[in-house]
Amino acid sequence: MFDGLVLLGQGIGHFLTPASLFNVVWATLLGLVVGILPGLTATMGVALLVTLTYKMTPDQAILTLMCVYLGSIYGGSRTAILLNIPGTPANAAATLDGHPLAQQGRAGLAMGLATTSSTLGTMVGIFFLAIIAPVLSEAALKFGSYEFFWLALFGVVISGQMSGSDTPLKGYIAGILGLLVAMIGMETLHAHQRFTFGMPALGGGVDLIPAMVGAFGLAEILSAMKRKAVTQIAEVNDRVVPTFREIFQYWRTIIRSGIIGTFVGIIPGVGEDVGSWTSYAAAKRASKHPEEFGKGSQEGLIAAETGDNAVVSAAMIPTLTLALPGSAAAAVLIAAMYIHGIRPGPMLMVENPVFLYQVVAMLVLATLANLIFGLSLTKLFIKVLSVPRERLMAVIYVLCVVGSFAITQRMFDVYVMLIFGVVGFILREMKYPMAPLVLGIVLGDLLDLNLRRGLQLTNGDPSPFFTRPISAVICLIVLLTILLSIPAVSRRVRSLFHRNGTGAPAQG
Amino acid sequence: MQEHADETATRARADLLTALLLVALGLVLFYLSWTMPRLEARRIHPSTIPGLVPIALSAALTLCGGLLAWRSWRLPAKGGWSALGKAVTGKAARRVGAVLALALLHTLVLVGWLPFWAAAMLFIFSFIVVFELWLIDGQPVTPLSSLVWAAIIAIVGGGGIYFVFERIFLVRLP
Repeated sequence: MFDGLVLLGQGIGHFLTPASLFNVVWATLLGLVVGILPGLTATMGVALLVTLTYKMTPDQAILTLMCVYLGSIYGGSRTAILLNIPGTPANAAATLDGHPLAQQGRAGLAMGLATTSSTLGTMVGIFFLAIIAPVLSEAALKFGSYEFFWLALFGVVISGQMSGSDTPLKGYIAGILGLLVAMIGMETLHAHQRFTFGMPALGGGVDLIPAMVGAFGLAEILSAMKRKAVTQIAEVNDRVVPTFREIFQYWRTIIRSGIIGTFVGIIPGVGEDVGSWTSYAAAKRASKHPEEFGKGSQEGLIAAETGDNAVVSAAMIPTLTLALPGSAAAAVLIAAMYIHGIRPGPMLMVENPVFLYQVVAMLVLATLANLIFGLSLTKLFIKVLSVPRERLMAVIYVLCVVGSFAITQRMFDVYVMLIFGVVGFILREMKYPMAPLVLGIVLGDLLDLNLRRGLQLTNGDPSPFFTRPISAVICLIVLLTILLSIPAVSRRVRSLFHRNGTGAPAQG
Repeated sequence: MQEHADETATRARADLLTALLLVALGLVLFYLSWTMPRLEARRIHPSTIPGLVPIALSAALTLCGGLLAWRSWRLPAKGGWSALGKAVTGKAARRVGAVLALALLHTLVLVGWLPFWAAAMLFIFSFIVVFELWLIDGQPVTPLSSLVWAAIIAIVGGGGIYFVFERIFLVRLP
């Protein structure tokens, strides 16, 4: 414990030099810009910057990349709040309440809350990374195909149940559609191509980024241009720095979202977006005012931004100790570490334990830089709202084209963006939630691969999916969630509790 | 109150149409998944066939689509079909159609035929002019002001995106 604190102190001290602080400043600002620009994601920002860090020392290179990663995840919340377009997929959940808050003229407060909760989320993640990383990485090692299958299904089901504003059916349909989209392309167990219809471009499947840019970018442009024009945008003069009470009245939500984000981050391959959506769903479920979610709930925004930022720190646990990327951007970081001669994996703690704490220090510095820039530069971004949509949306569309093209440099991805934009717009208009659709695309491969791998391991016997303790618990939750979304069952359960509640005093 | 009832009726009928489409999609996908190669020659275990999850998902889609169709059919929706017809031919729909037409023109025709920066400038200019001078919805703008602003934003936006992405971020543009 004390050894860990000493190593952490040394790690922070190591980076308190002018050169390191200069790198923190410019890389965080660059990350913020990448995050704020729609279509540019944290993964892309980190990937683009790897080439610029070749000549740096390993610690400075990883520090720079980490600042871009954290900066862009945080910066994306600005776009989510001001334009209803998530700057990165991680901020999709923040659009649900961040943008309504901005529309209510509380953009400053929304940005202040997002900034502070991002910092707190990162801090919760850092705590787990620094203090119990070895223990948690061991626990993650015990997760098998069975647990991953249920986790993937749990994500889609809970999201469908929680976000279906009209009826949970629409949430489930959106989730199933997302999962079906994820089935396109080469499956990883037997390398068989599914639903490609002889098109080579579909072999690699549908990329998440063009799909997201379409479903959240183009669809939003179409929605914005369809809506009746807001003749006068409310003047935004609210304060940016939130009060202590405004933040800490939701301390339960912050801690819960931080822990959920940490848990999601530890699971390899499950990124910030899942952390954000899951935290949001959990906060809505536990809230005293769930009806405010999606209409400008401060609690919802705090949950989303705490959750995704906690994932960033926690994603470093499997990345560093198991060499399994906790998120897509973490995969790029692993590649960068190899380039700089750092070998992540179980041996890292033996060979180079200082590096783990240097990463903790990098995250602390990056999150402090985010907090300072976030609270001081925040008013500048509010001006985006005053730009007429006719003049803003055209530029946003061009950015959508660039954002969907840039990752793999294929026009095919731009066409994917167009298709998802149109379909996403129609689904939005029909009150289908976007969250389960996105979760389905993200988790589809995880669900499919782990179900069939689990069955392969047991020669077709499905019993471990139901008998392993963690699997059994998640399975039960999934089943209960589905059952409770059936109106007849839900009514019966509610009446059961109601009867018990009224019956108790009579017995006394 | 009446407006809300109209909206509910329109949505009920739109949901019914969508649900039927989803059922059809589910059935087609179920057929495609069922007939997907089962790789017997590679002696894989029958429970790990590539079509396993798609079969389950397409069945679930058909089921959920069917339930939604049933639910929508049972909802009272007096005048729903005519309201739905008006919704897809109204002014709002024309504006959506115009955005889509411009976007498709830009992406499918202009990109590749013109340099990206020129295509972007042309798109931004046309978009602003179309929505500020033709399909107006909000404060009217004088033609001269609109044309000048459209030209400025097209040059700054299109040129800026080209410069920032291709020159600074070194991103290859379409």
